[in-house]
Amino acid sequence: MKSWQRYAGVFLLAVAGLVIQQSVWVLRLLDHGQPGSGFMPFGLGVILAVLALALIATNLGPEEEQVPFWKPKAWVHPLLAIAITAIYVVVFDDIGAITSVVVLVTGWLLLVEHKGVAVSVAMGLATGLVVYLLFDRFLHTPFPRGLLF
Amino acid sequence: MFDFTGLWHGFQIAFSPVNLLWGLIGCALGTAVGVLPGLGPAATIALLLPISMKMGSPVTAIILMSGIFYGAMYGGSTTSILLKIPGEAASVVTCIDGYEMARNGRAGPALGIAAIGSFIAGTFGLVGLTMMAPPLAEAALKFGPAEYFSLTVLGLLLATYLTGESALKGLIMAILGLILGCIGLDPLSGAVRFDFGVADLQSNLDFVTLAMGLFGVGEILYSLEKSESASILTTKIGNVFPTLADLARSGWAMVRGSAIGFMVGILPGGGAVLSSLISYAVEKKASKHPEEFGHGAIEGVAGPESANNAAASSSFIPLLTLGIPGNASTAMIFAALLIHGITPGPFLLAEHADVFWGVVASMYIGNVMLLILNLPLVGMWVQLLRVPYAYLAPLIMVLTLVGVYSVNNSVFDIWVMLVMGVFGYTARKLKFDLGPLLLAFVLGPIMERSLRQALLMSNGKVDIFYTKPISAVLLGIAVAFVLYNLWSAQRRKREARAKSA
Repeated sequence: MKSWQRYAGVFLLAVAGLVIQQSVWVLRLLDHGQPGSGFMPFGLGVILAVLALALIATNLGPEEEQVPFWKPKAWVHPLLAIAITAIYVVVFDDIGAITSVVVLVTGWLLLVEHKGVAVSVAMGLATGLVVYLLFDRFLHTPFPRGLLF
Repeated sequence: MFDFTGLWHGFQIAFSPVNLLWGLIGCALGTAVGVLPGLGPAATIALLLPISMKMGSPVTAIILMSGIFYGAMYGGSTTSILLKIPGEAASVVTCIDGYEMARNGRAGPALGIAAIGSFIAGTFGLVGLTMMAPPLAEAALKFGPAEYFSLTVLGLLLATYLTGESALKGLIMAILGLILGCIGLDPLSGAVRFDFGVADLQSNLDFVTLAMGLFGVGEILYSLEKSESASILTTKIGNVFPTLADLARSGWAMVRGSAIGFMVGILPGGGAVLSSLISYAVEKKASKHPEEFGHGAIEGVAGPESANNAAASSSFIPLLTLGIPGNASTAMIFAALLIHGITPGPFLLAEHADVFWGVVASMYIGNVMLLILNLPLVGMWVQLLRVPYAYLAPLIMVLTLVGVYSVNNSVFDIWVMLVMGVFGYTARKLKFDLGPLLLAFVLGPIMERSLRQALLMSNGKVDIFYTKPISAVLLGIAVAFVLYNLWSAQRRKREARAKSA
């Protein structure tokens, strides 16, 4: 895990660098002698850079025990879930909110949880109906319309 | 000292049919959330924030959310005792002796003493809240920008050091939270910060989006890695009422747990988890039979369960009187109050007394509801454990996606939530605690505004922070706390080196 902590430290160092750069070049550190809009972000960027270096420094050297970031194939389900959710967001405006919900739940149960087609479709439709009743009818959320309604 | 008039007015508000109903829903939801591993009170409150916005009354919304928060403390013990899986972080310690009691055929008394201890401690915490909040709110009126800056610094430091395994990682998350709070409009000058040309980033990041991403989506992704195949103990729960001997053994544990939980719960970051750990350690030391701990000592259930409930009540004190949330769940409630146009803090009692007393009174009623829900009806909650997480996960994901859209009707918010969800998942994998990030995001604008206002008042001189007495004391405590922790860490390293040598 030490190597992953080092990667995290490098990422945080990059974030700190970006924050400092924006604070100095785009925003103002001082405004008529008073702290400007870049004052606090600059300070935070510097502190983050120091902490990131400390994280890297405390994770130098060989691993005490080999702990994989993911157990074998443990990354598959989260990755599938992220992909299905991203597809949901992409098609959200085009096919409508409720249809997107049906697609998301059905796809999730089929691909992530490996449930049968009938169960997955039934759950998808049931969830779409509940979302329609709760959010559209009861809470009057202005969902984009689409295929199913 | 005890404002009976205010509390009586609060009970009149809390006993309205609508508030009673939503209080019961909150308590039931909280218990369910506490029972189900993988979904905590913070995530549930985040999921309900969009719905709470549609509720007309802020009192009703906060009653619902408060019910979820302290209800989860009750429910968390059920899976700890029956499955050795903590339903809620604060019930981790209950796993140790609670599960052993269940294995010894005493699941009923374990569940019973957990519920009774929770009730007594919750009531104790509420009485303390009722007595301490009004004078504290009055004292807080003396706070100016310098004092508020120092208070937020102290609060963040405590929350960072007291939660999670690593202070360094906690600090990193806190700084990230403060940086995220800078995205959008500068609170003083109105300048746009860190938008990178994206129009949607010119308004500040939405708290609901962040919270639902980190705690909702992130939690789901993390849970998908694990294959939950725990089986419920087939032993019958039986009679949930403890014997007189059980009550006699647990009495002082409940008293000590209540006191510990109340004091620790007031500290930012020092909430239910820390208080239950301290209580367990104290009970083991105080017991005449310490060898029984780890093998089904009832004090090992009574003390920690009392502590976490007292802490849940007392954590409302800094939230309502100072406007400083101490943990992720109270940060959600803080956000809910803001959404309803109410600023928690010293003026809450003066300007929105009905909200303050209505919520406090509802917590007394909620405590009674939870005792009934968790004692005779505990079998009902056990059935919840039979619902496969495979079906719950996509439903929770739908709720987060639809919920976050309903806040601002913005697809951009859904993308932000998904990104924060992936970030939250990665952070958990790397053992970074998310609580400090969320707290910092909430406290960041207060901190920056106070800092710049204080420097404006002092014409840029920093001595304002140590010449004002309250500010000086708060900063002094913060510095002492950091130095103590550094010294403590060095001492532990020296001891470890000496041992290995």
